Amino acid sequence: MEGYEVRTAETHGMAQRGGSVASYFRFGTNVEGPLIPRGKTDVVLAFEASEAVRSFNYASSKTVFLVNDKIIIPPMIHQMGMEYPDINNIRNFLKEVSDNIYFIKADEIALTLENPRVMNVIMLGVLFGSKNIPLKEGSLISAILNFIPKKFHDVNRKAFQIGIEEGIKMREDYNEQSILCRG
Amino acid sequence: MSRAYFAEDNPGNKVIMLGNEAIARGILEGGVIIGAGYPGTPSSEILTTLAEMQKYFRHLKLEWSINEKVGFEVAYGGSMSNVRSVACMKHVGLNVASDAFMTACYAGARGGMVVISADDPNCFSSQNEQDNRFFGPHALVPVFEPSTPQEAKDLIKYAFGFSEQYQSLILFRTTTRLNHARGNVILGEIERIEREYSFDWDRSRWVCLPSHSRILRVRLLERLEDISDAADEFPFNSLKISKEKLNGTRYGFVAAGVPYSELLDALDYFNIREKVSILKLGMVYPPPRRLIKELLKAVDEILVVEELEPFLENILKQIAYEENLTNPVKIHGKDYFPQNGEFSAEIYIENIANLVGMNYEKIPVPENMMIIPPRLPILCPGCSHRATFYALKQVEKKMKTKFVNSSDIGCYTLAVYKPLEGLDTEVCMGGSIGLANGIAKIQPKENPVLAILGDSTFFHSGIPALINAVWNNNNILVVILDNRSTSMTGFQDNPGTGITITKEKGTRVIIEDLVKGCGVVPENIWVEDSNDINKMVEKLSDAVKKEGVRVFISRHTCSLVEMSQMKAQHILPPVVKIDPEKCIGCFICVNKFGCPAITFDEESNKATIDETFCRGCKVCIDICPQEAIYEELE
Repeated sequence: MEGYEVRTAETHGMAQRGGSVASYFRFGTNVEGPLIPRGKTDVVLAFEASEAVRSFNYASSKTVFLVNDKIIIPPMIHQMGMEYPDINNIRNFLKEVSDNIYFIKADEIALTLENPRVMNVIMLGVLFGSKNIPLKEGSLISAILNFIPKKFHDVNRKAFQIGIEEGIKMREDYNEQSILCRG
Repeated sequence: MSRAYFAEDNPGNKVIMLGNEAIARGILEGGVIIGAGYPGTPSSEILTTLAEMQKYFRHLKLEWSINEKVGFEVAYGGSMSNVRSVACMKHVGLNVASDAFMTACYAGARGGMVVISADDPNCFSSQNEQDNRFFGPHALVPVFEPSTPQEAKDLIKYAFGFSEQYQSLILFRTTTRLNHARGNVILGEIERIEREYSFDWDRSRWVCLPSHSRILRVRLLERLEDISDAADEFPFNSLKISKEKLNGTRYGFVAAGVPYSELLDALDYFNIREKVSILKLGMVYPPPRRLIKELLKAVDEILVVEELEPFLENILKQIAYEENLTNPVKIHGKDYFPQNGEFSAEIYIENIANLVGMNYEKIPVPENMMIIPPRLPILCPGCSHRATFYALKQVEKKMKTKFVNSSDIGCYTLAVYKPLEGLDTEVCMGGSIGLANGIAKIQPKENPVLAILGDSTFFHSGIPALINAVWNNNNILVVILDNRSTSMTGFQDNPGTGITITKEKGTRVIIEDLVKGCGVVPENIWVEDSNDINKMVEKLSDAVKKEGVRVFISRHTCSLVEMSQMKAQHILPPVVKIDPEKCIGCFICVNKFGCPAITFDEESNKATIDETFCRGCKVCIDICPQEAIYEELE
């Protein structure tokens, strides 16, 4: 993509069965392995609030957290005698980890587009709109559409645009110190 | 229709590929014709990607075989017929194939033959962490290991020619972070090999009886020696010597595979990549003796960076001893790195910092560390296995006893978790029935012994153990969870569906006929719909109470497969609801049955069904004692 070296690492087979999944994505001009060291993540894109907490040790105070404002209670926690933490506790904890915690109501926005599955594309739009990824809009959208059947192209374009607008709004709140965009 | 990016006939094009796609691409580029194997994470996508390619490259002859041993034999039959062939499996699959593999290595390859073993440090989806590099010195064949998707493609393509040049089988070892990592790959030429394909009637080679094998073994040892001599020039091995010192010491590193890539990143972290010597191996066995000697002479301390066993470390120490170089050089490995699990990026950084005396401060854990509940993989909503295990629990309760549930490898292994806690053993594919044979010899009659396994697992290696039980009168009940799919590894077909890897029509094998053929008497065979829970409880009770070898086939299509079939036919799943008036909050549906689509609402203290998760299997309707769950009809 845009001449960068890309490495990812993925977890296969767990998501469909309700398990926690973490994917690593690295790109740049000097990238060898797929894994990210502790504290060295530029952006954590969390599709669920408690999953953002789970990835805390990859983050530092400079890491930008873009968190979908959504709770999915892990199945079986009641049988295990555990409780899902209060969302405010999650927010407070994340604020201890990083100076850049942003919650996005991506699921709600996706529902206004009448397609809950575009939540992740909205999140990608936010990632781009908040200038946290030094890639061109055109290459991102064509990469997204490449994996999506034609009949869903329009709704995904819309989702990406709405995400960008949310990201631009969010950017206005940024702590100038921690702006990551180098592109 | 445009081709998938991995099937483009467009050399020089740069694409981003999954490691397994890159391996499949390398197999295609290498002019392979036969590909066979058995699905197993993290290897499964290699053959499925080849099956996608087969739409455009009709010369590919591919199959999911019944197990890894047969898969290996299919590929080796190709090699005997002068065809380039590949057998593909996960690390434990090579245990199954090893009977054939160990002797095939004696006779060697005719058409280029590569065996892929996808190892799984950290047991992401495996029962053990075995290090299959040891199959190299064990079978006396070379072991290749790639470090990136690009190298995986290039190395496996190269392996087929190398195999033919030395008439040796090649073991191609990967780990999960290579198979399931993505990276840039530059496509290469797709080789077309023009030669006669035919079996070769050379009995002195292919008939491995003692008088032949003694001679074949001598040739095998000679081949390995030739390869060992060529290892220093192997194009995927490289040695870079640096004369610089760090804190007064010259350091060297040895690595292969994913740890090599991670090592480079870690060296870059401290900006010392150019200040140290690095031996990079693409062939981890046999070792490049001259390169190792050069490294031993060029540095003061060496760190061997490898996951799992000290395989390369021991080789280095042996060569240092033989070359009389043990004294000036310190060789480190497992004194720094753990012998278990996958290495995280910071393990590399930390240990390099420790070795060369760099400063590395760990990121501190926040003071008020938050506890969040684990998110474990579980049986899906509507999964027919849940219904079977629930029914078994009811029978157990009714009989006021405890079963020994000897079980196996598949999605259903997830039933070990609460609330089902439905299985007591899991060792290896097909092991459920074998273990039950033994347990039944000891366990008193009050504790019925069950063997519980899936359809694909039964075909894989359950059949001989079932015949064994019949033959030896071992008193067991075999429960076959027939969901018509090999779901855990990605919904591959199996003999029970009769569909081949390229989605063509093969011949279906009927499990109940097979069971009869194994010698189980017809009155001891049951076939029921897993989701018909009341009937399941009744018939399972009959089956448990009977004597002799009994087989209960609990049949219902995998709910994920069923969902996609319904979607394709535009059928909406039934809508199931809970009547809050009738629900008394007993939570049997939540706490005993445990379908993730049913949750309890803390405010009202009643159960509710999350429509976005519910697949409409309707099993919960039958388990609710208050009859509060109902199907909403339009």
